[in-house]
This record gives sequence, structure tokens and C-alpha cells, in this order.
Amino acid sequence: MSTETPDTAGAGDAPADGQPLVRVDGLEKYFWENNSLVDRLLGDDPVAVRAVDGVSFDIQEGETLGLVGESGCGKSTTGETLLRLQEPTAGRVEFDGQNVYDLEGSDLTEFRRDAQVVFQDPFSSLDPRMTIGEIVQQPLAVHDVGTEQERERRVRELLERVGLSVEQLDRYPHEFSGGQRQRIGIARALALDPEFLVLDEPTSALDVSVQAQVLNLLDDLQAEFDLTYLLISHDLSVIRHICDRVAVMYLGEIVEIGPAADVFEDPKHPYTEALLESVPRASTDEQDREIETLSGDVPSPRDPPSGCRFRTRCPKVIPPEDIDIDRAAFRAIMDLRERIEGRDISLETVGEDGQFEFEDGRLAVGDRSEFVATLKERVLDRDLPARDDAIVEEALAELAASDWEAAAERLRDEYETVCERQNPPLSGTGTETRAGAGTGTGTGTGMEKAGPSSTSDGSSADEDHPVACHLFAESGHRAPESDSR
Amino acid sequence: MTNTQQEILRVSDLSTRFFTQEGQVNAVADLDLRIERGEVFGIVGESGSGKSVTARSIMDLIEPPGEITDGSIEFHDSDLADAVRDDYPEAVDGEYVDLLEVPPEIRESLRGTSFSMIFQDPESSFNPTLTVGEQLAEAVEVQRRASSRPRSTRAKTEEYSFGSFALSTVLPSKKYVTEESRNRAIELLELVGIPDPVERADEYPHEYSGGMLQRAMIAQALAGEPDVLVADEPTTALDVTIQAQVLDLLADLQEETGMTIVLITHNLGVIARMCDRVGVMYAGEIVERGSLEDVFDEHVHPYTEGLLGSLPDLDGTTGRLQPIAGNVPSLLDSEMENRCYFADRCPKAMEDCLDHPPEYDAGGDDHEVRCVLAERRYDRTRALPDGYFGETERAAADKHADPDRTEEDVQPERAEGTVESSGGDRL
Repeated sequence: MSTETPDTAGAGDAPADGQPLVRVDGLEKYFWENNSLVDRLLGDDPVAVRAVDGVSFDIQEGETLGLVGESGCGKSTTGETLLRLQEPTAGRVEFDGQNVYDLEGSDLTEFRRDAQVVFQDPFSSLDPRMTIGEIVQQPLAVHDVGTEQERERRVRELLERVGLSVEQLDRYPHEFSGGQRQRIGIARALALDPEFLVLDEPTSALDVSVQAQVLNLLDDLQAEFDLTYLLISHDLSVIRHICDRVAVMYLGEIVEIGPAADVFEDPKHPYTEALLESVPRASTDEQDREIETLSGDVPSPRDPPSGCRFRTRCPKVIPPEDIDIDRAAFRAIMDLRERIEGRDISLETVGEDGQFEFEDGRLAVGDRSEFVATLKERVLDRDLPARDDAIVEEALAELAASDWEAAAERLRDEYETVCERQNPPLSGTGTETRAGAGTGTGTGTGMEKAGPSSTSDGSSADEDHPVACHLFAESGHRAPESDSR
Repeated sequence: MTNTQQEILRVSDLSTRFFTQEGQVNAVADLDLRIERGEVFGIVGESGSGKSVTARSIMDLIEPPGEITDGSIEFHDSDLADAVRDDYPEAVDGEYVDLLEVPPEIRESLRGTSFSMIFQDPESSFNPTLTVGEQLAEAVEVQRRASSRPRSTRAKTEEYSFGSFALSTVLPSKKYVTEESRNRAIELLELVGIPDPVERADEYPHEYSGGMLQRAMIAQALAGEPDVLVADEPTTALDVTIQAQVLDLLADLQEETGMTIVLITHNLGVIARMCDRVGVMYAGEIVERGSLEDVFDEHVHPYTEGLLGSLPDLDGTTGRLQPIAGNVPSLLDSEMENRCYFADRCPKAMEDCLDHPPEYDAGGDDHEVRCVLAERRYDRTRALPDGYFGETERAAADKHADPDRTEEDVQPERAEGTVESSGGDRL
């Protein structure tokens, strides 16, 4: 959900402000592991890798939407799936009002002409055994456009247009530099006069000076041919430079989407903030800029965290309402919880060699308090308020008996946050969107982020710039949910 | 930056060439570098500019068909100077030792203890069949033996004979050489911020994420407590949030240990974040060097300006990018003319540029630039005519990629030492 107003969501119909060229609604693409015949015979359940997990956005005609995120967040898969280069697991994509996945025959052929793609790696996306003339001409031949002479003329035109010389028509890709090859790829994508281009990291294999040439070229082409772009990139400054709107992806979901200027100048989602903060600026002030680096790595899309997927790294993870604790301390407790839940602490190595002896996984009772103190020192690098300190110690004491369950339970009881119970929907601020607490844990397609429902009252919503974060939900919502504790 | 800083590394007239089938490639030519103890020196340039070859030359990792053909790499180490003075008097100059004049065994013995290197791609730099802990312990062990018998390489690595190979197929591999080195490996993992290092030490590289593996590689490089750490694109393979973590780590370690870091990258943002002084490389030479401020704010060389002007801006003061026309030149000796190598892409090329420029002083403490613009202003009457270098492709690229940039855009009046063009402003 991106630009529509709350009352049009769910209906899936055109909003008043004109039909978007591309509308993606609840797009999902899972890849399955352990899905071979052998695995099935052995009775192994397939594991879903949720590359894209319920993504919705619109692209208006003539605009450039940027899809930005770190590697593995599903941005390229989104691009490929919406072009139907991959079959989706669920969801729909409308191109010019038609569902792309229902297209057949000549309609599909027409879609294939209208929507083109430029790939990241200019070294592997051109056939080394074809001359560049043949490469650019191939789409014309495949779609049987014009006569031989017309095609040749078109190829010359295109090559000139992207800044290559016509004399190079008979050369092979290996004779060209990376930037020139990317120009060839662009010429090929333009051959059929498309309306929509998916640019999948078009410049990330290029040097900065060449990247600037290609970005300028893309800019010019868009103006000249009224193209609509979906630009996929991990480079925030490239996105900032050429996009009108930006969608930020994290682990298969869009966490924030809005006009580029808004997202970059006033990022709302803590992930977007962190991402922007992490980019080193090429300026002499850079060394004085304080940045708070994000801890940890992106979790695996095989087993994404429940609720908000960013909660395992989020510096602003929300403590339960009745607990008064500062952010950093709460973050530390959450990190500890995670390690305990993942059994990612080696108890045998606590303390000096042989200081603590485990027998049958249990520590002699007399050693426990000392063990807890030593362990706490190792796993927590900050002091906690007295109350929380006591709780953490209780939990660690369970570990002395190797009772991971109990330790995790103790902490979960006390510190379960709204961030892990519910996947925040992508919505403007202040809209009522809860879809029932049970579905938030991320099972199957129940994860509706289908956007704002109609019950929203007095939404101070920023409908152009929705964000998927509990911090931007109305504060009143958290109270009833805390009852479960 | 003070002048009293001691130079730990003096590279003079370094030339590294590759003798390939197509001919001689001048990857690095007449390169001068002065690196001070405890600083972070950045080398920035595009692919093929020779920055990695420079790093590998310093590390003595140039392999055939490459060869260091000329120059000297002097390393400041009074102990080493004393040790080799008698045998190789010509290599020693005061407390400096010319590493190119001493035999390979001695250079090799410095690797790890004096110089260490981290590479771009952590995934391919580790052995996938050994645990990370084992590999770290191995580095520790090698360094420990080296320091117990300094300047001797015999002790550095265990002989790997056919016998040991045959034995290894029968016996389980001897994991850690000693308990000591295992503990040190764990310490190192802890030092680089890997959580739960004890368990992590027993995991294999594929169980690590890219960022963690890069940390492990840094740990390995630190095993010998090197004086100089050469980091070749240490964060290029990483996502920005992980890049920020790794840069932070490097900065912290540098502060803690006082080591000198030579940071090689194509990313100007990383340079700005980390470095005290910078050298900009182009076509095998350093075309401009100086303090961070000199290079970012007071640059003289049009290439530096072009690099900065090519960068899209995160703060959105959008405008058209000002790219450098054309492509990185060939470094084949037969194709390199004796002129400024950037002249064919330079918007301010003049007749004067047809002679290869020496390094000019560009004002400032230690700001030098290989460009005649340091000496004289741009003079349009002396400008080279369009298409002088006869590259059709350049003309075509120019016309489309950058139609805005006409002669009028090039500012003819420019004060020496400062640049007030769009590229500089938008930083």
C-alpha cells in the first residue's frame, strides 16, 4: 500500500488520482528448500525462504520508484517476480490495469514488450558470441518488428542514443568496458519502445565516474521516452539522485515508502534511519559525524523473526508499557533474550578453566550465584536498573541448571514487546490496523499488511509516506494487548 | 597533522609492471608515498588505477608475470636496521631499511609481524574446510614461531611433505597447534567483536555472515600485531550497515594499537570517514595527495574534481551529475604516451598537458598534484581542440551522457589551489 487513501485499500480499485501504471498487491515469492524428491521420501518438510513476503506498492506513470535495501532483502526478486520472470507464490501485479499473472497469448507478448529489464552485471547479461548489433536487434527479431532494414536502422538509432558509435556495431561484448556494456544493455531494453523498465542495480558494477554517465543517460532517456522506472539498488545516494519515490525493504517486506525527499530527510522507520546514517558521506565533516551503528546481522529469511522483522536489531525496540527502562538497556536485554532463545551461549566456558563443573548439565547449587555473576558480566555489557537486574539474574540462574526453556520463559514473561507480537502494518501514522494478535507471528499468508482499514478516525496520517513500525501506531493500541501477560 | 610525525613507510619511484602476452602493463609507475606512523592513509581510485597493485607491492605479494621493476620501499624499524646492517649495508639508511634490497626471506619474515593485509572478499579468503578458530590459531602459531626466531623463515611454516599429507589421510587432522594459540585465537575473535568467540571459533567459515567473516579476517591480520595494516577494499563486499560496523572496528583497533592503516578503496565516503591523508590514483600514479581537506575541499587535479562531481548526493541537492567522460585508459606500455594520462578525458586539457607532468606543490602542508594547473591557470587559448586524441567513442559519450557540459561550463578563471566548481560545492 502506498499512495492510496485508506478507504480505497483492500478494494484494489483505482484511486481517484489516476490509474498507476504498475500496481503490486500483496506480492509473495517463496523459494523452497529441501524440496527434492529425496527429501520428500525422507519425510523432510520443505523450508520456505521468504524472499518477498507481502509487498504492495504502486508506480505511477512516468515516475521512478526506488527499491532500496541490503543484500538478501528481496529487492531483486521483487523486480523479477513483478515482471513475471518468476512465478509468484501469492499476490497480484497489475500492469496497465491487467493482472500480469493472468496474461496469455498476445496480451502476454505485449506485456513482454512494454516491460523490460536492465540487469546488474553487464559482463554476464550479454551473449559473448553475438555482436552488439545482433544483441540489440534480437528483441526486435523475437517480436517480429519491422523489416530487416527498419530493424537495422532502429539498432543504429538506439546505439547512437545511448552514446555508442555505430561503427562498433560489429564488435563483440568483450571489446567493451563495463560502462559501455551497460549502455548496450540499456539499448537492448529500449529496442521495443517499452513503457516500463526495471533497472536492477544498473550501476553497481561500474566505477563512480562511469556510474554518473549511466545515471545521466537514464535520466535523459526517461524524459525523452516517457519511461517509468523501478530502480533497484543498494546504493542510497543513487536512489536519492534519480528516484521520485522510495520503498525501503527489509527481509522481504517494505518497511517504509514515500517521496524520496520525505524518506531521506525525515525517515521514520528506525531501519531507514540506520541505513541512512550508515552511509559514509564524501565530505570532510564526515569524521565528526557521530553514527550509531546497527548491531548484528540481517536474520535469515528462512526463519524470520516474529512480529516486526527488524526488532532483532532495532535500537528503538519498544519496552512493555509498564516497564520504565531506557532504550539501550532494553536493547541489551532483548539481545540477551535472543541469545538464550537461540541457545547461543556456551555455558561450559564460563569462568576460569574448571571453575564451574557441570554434572548432568547442572551446576552444584553452591556455585550458582557466582556462576550467574560471571555469566552476567560476559553477556551484558551494561548495568541495568535494579528490578531488571534481578530478573535477568533469575533467568541466568535457570541457565545454571541448563534449563534454557525456563530462562527464556522468564525473560519472555517480563519483556515481551509489541514488536515481536505483531508485524506492524505499513500504514500512515495513527491508523487503526490491527489484524488480530495471532497472525502477527508470521505464518503463511496470514501476514496481512493490507494497509489501513476504514475504521481509522482522525488519522493524522501521512498517506504518502506510510511506515511499518509500532512507534507510529497510536499509543492507545498497546494497552489492551498487554493484558495477555 | 604535524610535521614531526615519523614516517613509517617511504615508497619512492615504485614501478610495478606486468609482462603479459599483450605487452608490458605499467600498473604502477613512479609512485611516491610517505606514510606516517599511526595514521590512516587512504588510496582512492577507480578499478584499474593500480591501487591494489600498490598495496600488494608494499606487501611483496606481486606474482609473475608482475614484477617490481624499480624504486624503493623503505620501512622504519631500528631493530631490523641493526639486524641487517652488517649483511646488507646498501639496504640500510639510518633507521630505514629498503625492503627491495633485502633478500626475500627477510621480507617474508616481516609479513604478519610488521605488515599485514586484509582483503576485499572474506568469503574467498578463508579455507572452507577448516574452522575459523583453526585458521586463526595457525596464524598465531606462525607469528609466534617467527618471533621466537626472528628473521628466519625456516621456523615460519611447518614443512608440508608428502609424508604429512599421507599421514593426514589416516589420522584426524591435528586441530590447534597448541592450546595457547587456540586461546589467543579466541582472544582475537573477542577483540574484533565477535559474540561468543569460544563457540564461534569452532565454526566453519560458511557459518559466518559476511560481516563476521570480515571481522575474523581482521582478527587474523592482527595475530602478529603488525605495525602496518594494509586494508584492500575491506568493506566493498559488505552492506552499508555492516560496513559502518567494520569501519568503526578498524578505527577502534587503530586507536587501541596505534597501528598504521593503509586503506585502499574506491569509495570516497569511506575515505572521508577514516583517513587522515589521501592519495588519489589514476593510471598507475598518484595524481593528487594531501590531507583529507586538501583533497576534498582544495583539490587541484581535474580528475579529483571529476570523481567528486560524479558522486550522487545523499542530501538531495540534486543537479545533474558531472561525470568524467570516457573510460579508464589502457595501461599497456605501448599505448601510453608520454603525456598527462588524464588529458584525453580532462575538460581542461591544454597543450602543456602533452608533457608528462611532475608532482607540483599545490600549497598546504603536504599537498602535491600531478597537474600543470597547480602552476598556471587554465588558459582557453592553449586548450587542446576537441577530438585531439581522436577517440570517436569519447565524442559520442560526451554528446549524450553529458550534453550540458559545454566549453562555457568549464570555468576558465580559477584560482590556484582552490576549486569552486559544482563538484566541490556539493560535497
